[in-house]
Amino acid sequence: MVTPDLVNEEEDITKLIIPDDLPDEQPAFKAYIEAKVYDKEGHLIQYHRQPMRSLTRYFLALMSIPILGTYQNASTNSAQNLLVNVLGLPSNITLGNGTANIYWDFSIQLGSGTQTFSPTLTGLAAPIANGTGTGQLVYSTISALYVGSSIIVLIQVSNSTSSAIPVTEIGLWGIVYTRAYTGASSYNFLLSYDTFSTAIQIPASGMAMFQITLSFTG
Amino acid sequence: MMVGKEIEDIDAVMPRDAYNIGKDTPTFNVYLTVVVRDSEGKVVKVHRQRSHSPTANFIGLMLPLTYFAVTGNTYTIKTTGGSTYSYQPLNNNNSPCISYPNSSRSFPSYIVMIQVGSGQQPNPYTAYSLAAPIANGSGTGQLVYGQPMIPSNITVSGSSAYFAISQAFSNNSGGTVTITEVGIVTQIVLAASINSSSSFSGNILMWYDVLSSSISVPDGGSVTIYYTFTVNP
Repeated sequence: MVTPDLVNEEEDITKLIIPDDLPDEQPAFKAYIEAKVYDKEGHLIQYHRQPMRSLTRYFLALMSIPILGTYQNASTNSAQNLLVNVLGLPSNITLGNGTANIYWDFSIQLGSGTQTFSPTLTGLAAPIANGTGTGQLVYSTISALYVGSSIIVLIQVSNSTSSAIPVTEIGLWGIVYTRAYTGASSYNFLLSYDTFSTAIQIPASGMAMFQITLSFTG
Repeated sequence: MMVGKEIEDIDAVMPRDAYNIGKDTPTFNVYLTVVVRDSEGKVVKVHRQRSHSPTANFIGLMLPLTYFAVTGNTYTIKTTGGSTYSYQPLNNNNSPCISYPNSSRSFPSYIVMIQVGSGQQPNPYTAYSLAAPIANGSGTGQLVYGQPMIPSNITVSGSSAYFAISQAFSNNSGGTVTITEVGIVTQIVLAASINSSSSFSGNILMWYDVLSSSISVPDGGSVTIYYTFTVNP
C-alpha cells in the first residue's frame, strides 16, 4: 500500500499501529473460560464455556516482562518505567548481598456481582469469600497446566453451605513477586474480568471446576 | 463427595455449541506496522498485518509459578545462538528467575532490538532465531539499527488498552535492502537471589513474524517497525 506522506505524523501513526481494517485471521491469542458443575453425588449437572473477552492493562504489563525485560536498557540499573507506572513495582531494590529477581503466579477468583468492564479494574464487584459460611465457597489449591501452546489455570470450589450459590463473575489474578535475598514482596493484579452469560449455580454440597485457558497461536 | 465418570470423560456430555468453532472474538491482538521512507523522508509504503507468533520461549517464560511447583517440570528456553537452559522458577532464594534491578548486582534483562531478516521459516512458534538476520551496518545488504523505543506506560482508551514498541533502521548500503521477517529479541538473565552471579544469560527470540509481503527499503531511506500489543481492540 502506498500512502501520501503522513500529515500529522503522531496522530496518523496512532491510527496505523492499531488498525481496525485488517481482515480476520488467526489471532496470536485466544482465551476461554469453562465451568463444570457437579451435584453432591458427583454427577456433572452443568457445563458452561465462553470466550474470555476482557483482559486488563495489568495483563499487558505482565506480558511485557518477557518482551521488554525488567531493565530499561543494558546500562541503566532501573526498572522499565511501564512496570513502575502500571504495576507499581520498585525502580530498584536496595539490598546488601546477592541479587534480585522477579516471577509470578496466577489465581482465579469468583464473584456474585457484576460491573462494567474497564482495563483499569482492580477487583471483582462482589468477590465470593473462601469459607463455609453463608454465600461462601471453599477454594482449593490452584493448578496450572501447559498443553500444546496453551496455559491452563484451574481451581476447584466446594459449596459446603445448605443453599445454592450463584457465580456471576470470574477474575484471573496475577501475583507478581520481586525477591531479594532478604525476602520477597508480592503485588496482586486483576489480569482479566468476565461476567458469565448465564449464572453458574453451585448446588448445596456440590462442587465446581473453573478453568481459564490462555491459548497462544502455537 | 463422589465424582462421577463424567469428570474423566467430559466430551461425552459437552453440549455441541460449547465446542470451539473458531468464531470467538479475540481479546488480545498484536499488530505489526512497517513505515518505509525514501531518502527525503517521504513515506513511500505502509505495511500493516496481524502479528501471529509469540514464540515457545515467550510462552514458557509466561508460565505461572504453580505450574513449576506442582508439576516439578522445567521449561527449555533456547537462545538465538541455539544454546538451551532448563527454566524452573520457584518461590525461594535458590531458584534462578528473571533478574530485577537492584543496588547489589546489575544483571540486565532488557529488550535488545526488533530484529529484521531476509529469510523465512515454516513454524514460527518453535523459531529461536531469524532465518536470515540482516546485520547492523552499512555494508551490502545491511541496515543501520536504531535503538528500540519503549513506552513508559500503557495507553487506555475506553475498554481497550495497548502499548507499542518501535525501532527505526536506516539503509546506507548503496542498494535496496529487502525485509521478509521480523522478531523481538530480549536479553534474559536468570539469577538466584542468594547468589552474586547469574545462572544464565542469553538473547531470546520472544516474538517472530514472517511478513505477508516483503518490504523494500530504498538506498538512503529508512524503515520504522512498530509492534502494538493491545487488549480488547
